[in-house]
Amino acid sequence: MSEREVEVAVEEELLLPRETLLSAGVHIGTRIKTKDMELFTYRVRPDGLFVLDVKKTDERIRTAAKFLSRFEPSKIVVVASRLYGQQPVRKFCELTGAIPIEGRFAPGLFSNPLHPERIEPDVVIVTDPRADKQAVEEAAAVGIPVIALCSTDNEFSGVDLVIPTNNKGRRSLAAVYWLLAQQVLKERGELALDQSLSVPLEEFEAKLESKE
Amino acid sequence: MGPLSDASAARGPLLLTVSMPVCTSCNRLIQPGARAVKFNCPNCGEMTIWRCPKCRKFGRQYKCLKCGFVGP
Repeated sequence: MSEREVEVAVEEELLLPRETLLSAGVHIGTRIKTKDMELFTYRVRPDGLFVLDVKKTDERIRTAAKFLSRFEPSKIVVVASRLYGQQPVRKFCELTGAIPIEGRFAPGLFSNPLHPERIEPDVVIVTDPRADKQAVEEAAAVGIPVIALCSTDNEFSGVDLVIPTNNKGRRSLAAVYWLLAQQVLKERGELALDQSLSVPLEEFEAKLESKE
Repeated sequence: MGPLSDASAARGPLLLTVSMPVCTSCNRLIQPGARAVKFNCPNCGEMTIWRCPKCRKFGRQYKCLKCGFVGP
């Protein structure tokens, strides 16, 4: 098998075609690279942006889906304080039965037993461990495992499973949550292995407000 | 840990064997009440992974002894 053939075979294993992932900007990092994220970084572009390894993103989405499928859907909480993360999280939760927390994370939601809307999840997914710091800290306080979407500028503090991806892009977040939802349903057996998600990827994307 | 009968309680302190969990990253004992976390290996789901508060805070790597998965 030639080198090109091996590359094609590897590409076929990805959950989405490489072109789709790259056009969504899943691999685009930032100009900052932390030591923690070194393992998932592929190269540096001439303009100084660090690029993530799409293969590792793909692997981690599969692993995270396996992990999530072992929990009861109502015990999974997905947090997104970022605007572009809110629509993907909403759609993800709609399909998988998880609990979405969009916008501001009210302190004490996990850790204060007197909180009127207290939740006791078994696992937490955060869109950005820096933006959703409150959720990560409270999960650490009560001993809940945390899955985080991390870009090149994030640190692993308080995180138990990392999905390396661009966590700032509108289309990137949609692609990652779409893939994660699809894989979770496949792992649970609610979707056939050769079947794709019935909801189009565009529905996961946050809508842009046009200014006139 | 078995129940203490009145006779054995009167004899004085007993030697009890308590097994404490060990952090998968640093192999240190995890004290009761520590802000540790435990979960099954994300990849194989067979081995239980324990992470002590320090290893979690500093993002230290853990490795599943069954499947070799390295996290976080």
